[in-house]
Amino acid sequence: MGANIYRNKKPALVFLVPAFLFMAVYLYYPFFKNILNSFMEIKQLGSSGTGFNTPWYHNYREMLHDEYVWVSIKNTLLMMAVTLAGQVGIAIALALMVDNIGRGKQFFKTVFFFPIVISATALGLLFNLLFLYDKGMINQVLEALGRKELIDWKAEGIALLTMMLPVMWQYVGFYFVILVTGLNNISDELYEAAKIDGATAMQRIRYISLPLLHNVICTCSVLAVTGALKVFDLPWTMFPKGMPLKSTFLTGTYMYYHTMETKNVDYGSALAVLIVVLGIVLSKVVNTVFREKDY
Amino acid sequence: MRKRFIAAMFAGTMILSLTACGKGAGSGKGQVELTVTTTFAGEDTNAQNYKDAYQAWEKETGNKVVDTSASSDETFKARISTDFETGSEPDVLFFFNGADANSFIEAGKVVSIDEIRKEYPEYADNMNDDLIAPSLVDGKKYAIPVNGYWEAMFVNTEILDAAGVSMPDGSYTMDQFKADCEKIKAAGYAPIAAALGNIPHYWWEFAIFNNQSPATHLEIPASVDDANGKAWTAGMNDIKELYELGYFPDNTLSATDDETFAMFTEGKAAFLIDGSWKVGGIVGACQSDPEDASTLDEAKLDQFDVTYVPGKGDRKATDLVGGISMGYYITKKAWDDPAKRAAAVSFVEYMTSDSVIPAFCEHAASALKNAPEVDESKFNSLQIKSMSMMAGTTSLTGAVQDLFQGDCRVSTFDGMPEIVTGKVSAEDAVAEGLAAYHNQ
Repeated sequence: MGANIYRNKKPALVFLVPAFLFMAVYLYYPFFKNILNSFMEIKQLGSSGTGFNTPWYHNYREMLHDEYVWVSIKNTLLMMAVTLAGQVGIAIALALMVDNIGRGKQFFKTVFFFPIVISATALGLLFNLLFLYDKGMINQVLEALGRKELIDWKAEGIALLTMMLPVMWQYVGFYFVILVTGLNNISDELYEAAKIDGATAMQRIRYISLPLLHNVICTCSVLAVTGALKVFDLPWTMFPKGMPLKSTFLTGTYMYYHTMETKNVDYGSALAVLIVVLGIVLSKVVNTVFREKDY
Repeated sequence: MRKRFIAAMFAGTMILSLTACGKGAGSGKGQVELTVTTTFAGEDTNAQNYKDAYQAWEKETGNKVVDTSASSDETFKARISTDFETGSEPDVLFFFNGADANSFIEAGKVVSIDEIRKEYPEYADNMNDDLIAPSLVDGKKYAIPVNGYWEAMFVNTEILDAAGVSMPDGSYTMDQFKADCEKIKAAGYAPIAAALGNIPHYWWEFAIFNNQSPATHLEIPASVDDANGKAWTAGMNDIKELYELGYFPDNTLSATDDETFAMFTEGKAAFLIDGSWKVGGIVGACQSDPEDASTLDEAKLDQFDVTYVPGKGDRKATDLVGGISMGYYITKKAWDDPAKRAAAVSFVEYMTSDSVIPAFCEHAASALKNAPEVDESKFNSLQIKSMSMMAGTTSLTGAVQDLFQGDCRVSTFDGMPEIVTGKVSAEDAVAEGLAAYHNQ
């Protein structure tokens, strides 16, 4: 027997095959089936296609003329920008501040991380109450401060901001914890040496913390951008069916709307393919832009 | 060898675990577990009656009901459709008997009353069969009805008093309605409680009805250019006019139905077109504890009334939308399961029995052969007003939207905000919906 045990790969296969079968049945088969469905004519959710569309690329041609596809792509790209600047940006600021305090680091870590453990749907309902037109908390506060007219926080011009604020708020803590861990890995000796050389606090951040956090920030940025592509439940809870006037659709919510609400299943499949393509392209771009450095 | 054995054991356990995930919970020994889905949930008047009734049945039979009821809306309908498509339908379903049921009837997923009666001759023999609606697919009858429904206009009389508007009656016209809305708006209230971006259904129905007559209302236009097509377009334009006049709440395009309903019950909006099921919602809003009827604020409830929807043209205000549109289905899945067949029949018989139905009907009609006795002393003021209003109706016509199902609705239901804001013309929206309907 002896060292042969390491050459024999069969036991590993026994573990890998069930996992592969699981992935094949629940991920790869639906994935390729979905691509096929996007060319078919499907009347109901769950039913098979009755034949190919005429022409077979009908849904893709339709997408080019569908103004809400472009609205959803634009909103998704905006969501990515907000995620990058809002989530990662605020998380960097918070992490640097918390890293500079003597006591209470653990307290802030817990407080900032807490929104992550709440389900997005529950958060959606919570923010619905905050932004409610009549008797919502924010409008009540404004009323108490003397404002006469209520603000419709879900009206067309402001709805996107109302939708993106909670999404941004929810994930700041996630990136904050990653960045604080990154800061902890920077040797205190570097800061002490800089201090002896007369570097100010801002200079220590500019020339020590941020350069040494570069790779962690890159990782957070990639996670944030790819995560923005998957945001679904909170926007759908707060703005079902892209309300108002279909102006708040994201690619994910628009795909769901067509599949589940309008029962245009094959068009929903085509939109799902679009999301995959968009995800691959954007991941490539983000990985190129935020390339990690070797030190 | 031993390591291989352990590895194989682990792998086997994983596979078994995965397999087990796909199996549902079995019914317990000595009892049958029935999955039942109804619309008796949320603000539905009969949510509590339903709960009481099925719990009494559980007690009587020792069987168990797994209740998966939910409020009736488009998401609920999509869920039911998906459940049938994917083979995860309930054993008993309380659902619409119109076009919504076409897909699962076409697929043979529910059992007809005649087929059930071959084995259980007394099944639903307390019902007047003439009042049970036949399927639009094959003309067979599938669903045992419980209670009828009506759609009318609820009124917050406190606002009417504040605005100097008198309570509308059976001769109410659209012109009078607009004049009243103007006064209400001037008094600082929202005249109409409706979320056009969420649930435009009731206004959609009556706006179209106002441009037709009871005789033609259930005819779906062949094209946007025929008489009915023009009536539909005119109906959409009527809603647009009311929106432009500012009679809907400021946030009507971004609010949910719950929000505008709250405006109505909290004295901020005067008129609400809705169904008979909303009586319970209004009563609940007048209770400090919505679950406890003893906490009802009767003085607050007295401020609410119900009347006819303003009429126009050939439709009188007293021509309302209503009928018996829902009933209990037994699914083929339950029927083919020897353990569940008798329990499913027993459940439906119990829930549609002469003793249970009167609690559900109250101010609405039923299909019982022996009309239940009504004890008005047990009714609250809004239920009595509802009965009085119903006594004055001149006709009750079904809802055309029950025949107009699926993606054909999208352009005028989900598209209502685009219509009222002028982004899409009413004619284009109606034409798009009709094209989708005739393409189905």
